Amino acid sequence: MYFKNIKLALFIFFIGLVHSESVLIKNATIYDGKNNDPFVGNVLIEGDKISRISQSNLRGDIVIDATGKIVTPGIIATDSELGIVEIGALSVTRDDSSDIYKIGFSIYDAFNPHSVLIPWNRSNGITSSLTLPQNTDSPIGGLGSFFVLDSNLDITGSSDIVMIGRVGGSSSSSRAATYSIIEDLLEFAISLEQGDMKSNADISEAIDDSSIAGSMDLHPRDVKALYKLVNNNLPLIMKANRASDLLKLIELKEKYNLNLIIMGAQEAGLVAERIAKSNIPLIINPINNIPGSFDELASNINLAGKLEKQGITLMFNAPRDHNYHLIRQGAGVAVAHGMSYAGAMKALTLSPVEVFGLGDRGHLAQGKIADLIIWDADPLEPSSMPEKVFINGEDIDLTTRMSRLTERYTKNKDQPNGYRD
Amino acid sequence: MKKYKKIIISLFIPFLSFTLTVESDPFESTYKPLPPENILIQDANIYDGDGNEFSETDVLIQDGKIAAIGKDLPVTNEFKIIDAAGKWVTPGIIDIHSHMGVYPAPGVRTSSDGNEATSPVTADVWAEHSIWVQDPQYALALKGGVTTFHILPGSANLIGGRGVTVKNLQRNTINSMKFPNAPHSLKMACGENPKRVYGNRNQAPSTRMGNAAGYRKAWIRAVAYLSKQQEYEAKSEDAKQMGYKPTRDLELETLAGVLSGEITVQNHCYRADEMATMINIANEFGYKISAFHHGVEAYKIADLLAENNICGALWADWWGFKHEAYDMVQANIAIVDQALNGKGCAIVHSDDAIGIQHLNQEASKALAAGLRAGFDISKARAMKWITINPAKAAGIDDVTGSIKVGKHADVVIWSMNPFSVYALVEKVFIDGATAYDKDTNFQPASDFDVGIISPNKNRIEE
Repeated sequence: MYFKNIKLALFIFFIGLVHSESVLIKNATIYDGKNNDPFVGNVLIEGDKISRISQSNLRGDIVIDATGKIVTPGIIATDSELGIVEIGALSVTRDDSSDIYKIGFSIYDAFNPHSVLIPWNRSNGITSSLTLPQNTDSPIGGLGSFFVLDSNLDITGSSDIVMIGRVGGSSSSSRAATYSIIEDLLEFAISLEQGDMKSNADISEAIDDSSIAGSMDLHPRDVKALYKLVNNNLPLIMKANRASDLLKLIELKEKYNLNLIIMGAQEAGLVAERIAKSNIPLIINPINNIPGSFDELASNINLAGKLEKQGITLMFNAPRDHNYHLIRQGAGVAVAHGMSYAGAMKALTLSPVEVFGLGDRGHLAQGKIADLIIWDADPLEPSSMPEKVFINGEDIDLTTRMSRLTERYTKNKDQPNGYRD
Repeated sequence: MKKYKKIIISLFIPFLSFTLTVESDPFESTYKPLPPENILIQDANIYDGDGNEFSETDVLIQDGKIAAIGKDLPVTNEFKIIDAAGKWVTPGIIDIHSHMGVYPAPGVRTSSDGNEATSPVTADVWAEHSIWVQDPQYALALKGGVTTFHILPGSANLIGGRGVTVKNLQRNTINSMKFPNAPHSLKMACGENPKRVYGNRNQAPSTRMGNAAGYRKAWIRAVAYLSKQQEYEAKSEDAKQMGYKPTRDLELETLAGVLSGEITVQNHCYRADEMATMINIANEFGYKISAFHHGVEAYKIADLLAENNICGALWADWWGFKHEAYDMVQANIAIVDQALNGKGCAIVHSDDAIGIQHLNQEASKALAAGLRAGFDISKARAMKWITINPAKAAGIDDVTGSIKVGKHADVVIWSMNPFSVYALVEKVFIDGATAYDKDTNFQPASDFDVGIISPNKNRIEE
């Protein structure tokens, strides 16, 4: 018994020791996530933080020689379903929609750290995710949360930090009606006083008194989210593409003082100066140049470069289908068509942190959380992969279900597959 | 009398049209290239599409064909010289799986014509009768170096109809875009899609075993139809006069075309076990599967595909949107390529109007994954995945798909190595004529693109 305890004590001691060992990444070509030119330097990781980053020599317990390698902050997926959808066409594996809540629907409690998408995207350079639900029946509504992709069952993240919405062509109703609903909802939220929000019973009473809240069958949870939107500067990501819609959203932002981000924005090139003037960050998919709807006719492969020139803050998305790391390929395409390299890198890292307030990530600097990647080659080449991924200062095992299956079918093939590793 | 005449004509016309349709193809290609130029591309780095790489080499284009390839070809006045030093030249990119035209942009109900989802076997429908020739997506694919693509019906049905190969030259009839003498294909589909579409209507198939029964029943009818046709054709002229010619059946005519080897089979199929079953069915009825499309699990049966000379037309990394697409590995394409010591036939396909513009990048990802999995594959070989191999699966590899003397001068000049994300297509030649030139901003715009945002501009004009 005594002996066993000693073993346990030693084990705990070593765990502690391992955890406190510092890691020095030496001679790396560093893109720090800001708009800066890269520099060759050293990064020291202690605990979960970057304790030093410098061009002069540093010492660390574990030294990784990154000569000739690029080091960047971990990439942040700004529009994903990571952790809430496993298989697209299998509804029992989807937790991204609700038929009850319209505005205050939160996906936070559904997050599955064991989703196979997480190691896959992580091994491709995604270290954290802004996970968003599907659009609800309301033109504004549905809350997204931020998750660190460390696969720990105890989730690191922030719940309900953004609301989503959409406006545009639809088969059921005029977009003019959509704008009326949005304005009615915002006016309702503005009319609420603290007293109305004291209890669910008070909120229910306010709902009963409001024609829009009543007709939309809102629940207290929905009203709380609306209240946060107009009183707490909650970021609102509106999906819209047509130039005229982008201008209307600028108008709404100014009128209601919204913390507005526009996603999609395929026709933003036509109104880039106005967007820049209103200081609205955009989430775009730089590789999407398809006039996929009558709202996206001006869709163009040079959009990212064009918007960057106006000084607009950009972030990237990829289709909401499993490979969120493909924002790297999108960023590469953006650079091929006129965007600056450093600008594309910032769009993948620091910009989402600044826009959504994601804390000390996305930037390689002293005191920041050590989410970083050592790449085997240029990270904007889709053929490149991370050699090492650190999340919260931890060197992450890059094994994935895919790498296991690859081994199964390239090694020891004489055994039936069920008996292979 | 007048009335009587009318009846005679109406009896006669169907007869006439019947004989005509049997004798000739009513939808024959009328494709004509743009006026060909005589061009000498000098000092290029070349991936020839047949697996070779050359540096500082010239390509001579004459009368729409590749006339010569070699170092320091003689310069004459008749040729327009293009200095391609530091640039890369490849064959025109070919996509074996596109729905452009049948699912054009914008994606609206009124022109979504890719799935005749009214019956699980619709071998009678032809994609070319749905294709919208003004789809703005062709021009985008052209800027990605795509000179030829194969348009397929969708995958709602077990047997979805005929696919067609086209040259990427936008014209206002489909006949004038059709690749001359290219065989039709038959689109077949395994797995979740057909069983979901029809199962939801409480009709067969609702299971994978229902799928298998559905194909086999159709092939049994096709075998009977073909033998009846052959029986008639074997008769003497006199006997033919005496008897009746068997009535045509559009559906069985297509299936019989597969059995007699005139029509290729392009089979949408994700799971390895289902692909193996489809090979059994092909063997049962004596037809050949040209390629399995999507094949997310192709790597599990790569040797079986190579043994049966079946290509895998695959994505570099799509997965997870369906249960049957869950077991993705990024080395899929490389494993299929390397089966039986390199006897495999791997194809990178798009199935997507964005992907088709970047097939070079998709091949680059697949190659990188293959190298990481320990294979030794050259870039020149990986270039085959988007050129000669899709040409082979489409049955047009004798005339295009590689830079070889005598083949169509379908050629792309890239700003840098096409396996880089930063490589841009600078020039595209189709049958020896410039179809796209970045330098002079020479590019097609479909009628759809004209004046649609601003009356005096084209859609993506700067």
